[in-house]
Amino acid sequence: MRIRLATVFGALLIGGMAAAAGAQAPSTASTTMTATVTAMAKLTLSAAAQTFPDANPDVVPQVTAVQGPIVITAKARTTGASQVVLTVLADDDLRSGLQVIPASAITWTATGAGLGGGTLSKLAPVTVGTWTGSGAWSGTQTLAFRNSWTYSTGTYTCVLVYTLSGP
Amino acid sequence: MTRAPLLILTTALLLQPACAWAQRLTLTVSQSNIAFVADDPDSTPTIASAPIVVTVRVQQSPGPWHLSVQANGDLLSGASSIDATQVTWTASPAPPFQNGTLNKVVGQTMASGTGNVNPAVSGSVVFRLANSWTYSAGFYSQTVVFTLSAP
Repeated sequence: MRIRLATVFGALLIGGMAAAAGAQAPSTASTTMTATVTAMAKLTLSAAAQTFPDANPDVVPQVTAVQGPIVITAKARTTGASQVVLTVLADDDLRSGLQVIPASAITWTATGAGLGGGTLSKLAPVTVGTWTGSGAWSGTQTLAFRNSWTYSTGTYTCVLVYTLSGP
Repeated sequence: MTRAPLLILTTALLLQPACAWAQRLTLTVSQSNIAFVADDPDSTPTIASAPIVVTVRVQQSPGPWHLSVQANGDLLSGASSIDATQVTWTASPAPPFQNGTLNKVVGQTMASGTGNVNPAVSGSVVFRLANSWTYSAGFYSQTVVFTLSAP
């Protein structure tokens, strides 16, 4: 008797079971972020008035204001490295009725980056400070009145206009 | 005598449905533009954008998932720039959303979790730009990329 024994093992794998089980690529989305930065300037002075008291010209040839130094805070946004300028202009000479003291009798010294000294004028703005580019700066300006025996007695006034500007 | 061939056939058949549990990650952002208008820094030290809605759906993923945000660079206006880190965001609900600070180097986590998120979850996101006098005047822009992944 012959017994033929045939044994067949078949293994059939169908499908992707051995494959990586479906890790998906990251999902992305994009947006555009924009910022509009407008040019602007902002100037703050610590005092709205400066008063120079009467004094003997021999004893006090330069009279400083009773309010003390003016604290100047200048802030500006400008394009790139443009120059920011602070100027002051007198609207007229100092006047007391018909009596006149030239605006140039007022001078100043200053402290703080970008600020400098000068002499007041009613004819053209005089530079008080210059800076480059955007930023915020502060310092002090101390006004002085040149005293003289030649002045007529009286109370003299004028208006000082400060202008902070960029391009 | 009868000849009796004996044939034993054994077949093992394994059937595996193709990719039956492939991950599905879906991310949508409600707006294509996030805009800031930089007003006076003294009165508006932080500028908020209009809220955007970020929607995340994660399907067939038992593991962790992660939503990150990254700027392609600083905000640029010609030669002028505003550092990307000047932008922060607040997001809710938390979790899965969280607050953060934008970065141009490394993606920052905006939301994360584990397992499926189905139905989808939507987060309200408000970006904020720190305002400053030091910024140069101009119109700045940059691309911000949101990435949802499940490693």
